[in-house]
Amino acid sequence: MAPSKSRKATQISRELDDLVRGICGGFLFGIPLLYTIEVWWIGSSVSPLRLIVALLTTLGVTYLLSRTEGFRKAKATRENDAIGDAVEAIALGIICATLTLILLRQITLDTPFNEALGKIIFESVPFSLGVSLSNQLLQEADDSPVQKESSPLARRTAENALNETIADIGATLIGATIIAFSIAPTDEVTVLVAAIDGPWLVLNVLTSLLLSYGIVFQANFANQKQRRSQTGIFQGPLSETAISYLISLLAAALMLIFFRKLDPSAPFELAFRQVLILGLPATIGGAAGRLAL
Amino acid sequence: MKPPIKLSQPPKPQPSDEPRSMAELISFAIASMVIVAVLGGAGYLWVSDRNPLPPTLEITSTTEYRQGKYYVPFTVKNTGGETAESVQVIAELRIENMLVEWGDQQVDFLSSQEEATGAFIFTRDPDLGALSVRVASYKEP
Repeated sequence: MAPSKSRKATQISRELDDLVRGICGGFLFGIPLLYTIEVWWIGSSVSPLRLIVALLTTLGVTYLLSRTEGFRKAKATRENDAIGDAVEAIALGIICATLTLILLRQITLDTPFNEALGKIIFESVPFSLGVSLSNQLLQEADDSPVQKESSPLARRTAENALNETIADIGATLIGATIIAFSIAPTDEVTVLVAAIDGPWLVLNVLTSLLLSYGIVFQANFANQKQRRSQTGIFQGPLSETAISYLISLLAAALMLIFFRKLDPSAPFELAFRQVLILGLPATIGGAAGRLAL
Repeated sequence: MKPPIKLSQPPKPQPSDEPRSMAELISFAIASMVIVAVLGGAGYLWVSDRNPLPPTLEITSTTEYRQGKYYVPFTVKNTGGETAESVQVIAELRIENMLVEWGDQQVDFLSSQEEATGAFIFTRDPDLGALSVRVASYKEP
């Protein structure tokens, strides 16, 4: 009885890991298009037939990607598995795009159904592709029996905690810049500042933290075990997530200043909201940067 | 110093011959329901909007006095079937047949049944003349 329960728990845990990896891949690939007004508009104005065609085409592409990469740790070898993974990639894309559009207040209770559906389907395309490319976006963690903690490299890492911390700060800044630099000068940030208020801003912050934690410590991307074992100044999972979020916000502020999007004469509250809103893509980029650099 | 990430040549996921677990089957069932619901929604729109009506833009406005200025908040709604882009709203105040104040605004996008709000601000009392707030133009996406 006990082994069966343990097996079930393992299966559920593995499934959750796969889904989290897929969601994180979706956000890494899809977040820049979420901050694009034109995609909201296209989704709102295209005919229902084109929406259906877009969804089915994406299903075909995610099927092909599932045959080669996918988001699961175990590669799909059977046709049925690849189809199943493609369906799940699309569904994850739809769910992530819907929740993010709600978070960014681009879908509200006042949004007409046809407009909401169009936005969801068009925004779900890059998310779904990102889910299917999860294994390709960042190298999967190596589960070989050789424990990195016991390697000379790991020991040296532990001894150079300060250097590791500085390297992580740099990686976070670079990753945040790569993802958010193309969003910072656009009008989307200003539009979203007007749309997102009060509790939605708080949700924005919590989502940024959750995604950052998920990408680095939960999605089983590159070097996850090594990151959990590191002993840098801020390198507990929670403290690293919090500190790197603050660093990503700093990067977002610097980018907004660089593009002269922060008006020194404007109220502090406005600038703060701009930074928090650009902070979401910056944080996702920062998390990816800490894994990739 | 962390080992380099081989982004160009990542290790492939391991092939698996195991049958799908119950957790995977539940995920697949939920995912299928999500897709069927979205496809069903799009299909419903397709069937119900075979011949969509062109945009019909209706505008309503009022006048409010605030701190020495006359505010004219307006709401423009697309009650037609198709989407209107670059909707231009203009307001003109004529006193004794002379155009004394005017303004214009552009609403980027109005899909079917969507509405947008805004306001014009006048220094003269609109009640002293003839105020016209109307949609002047739009373009198809």
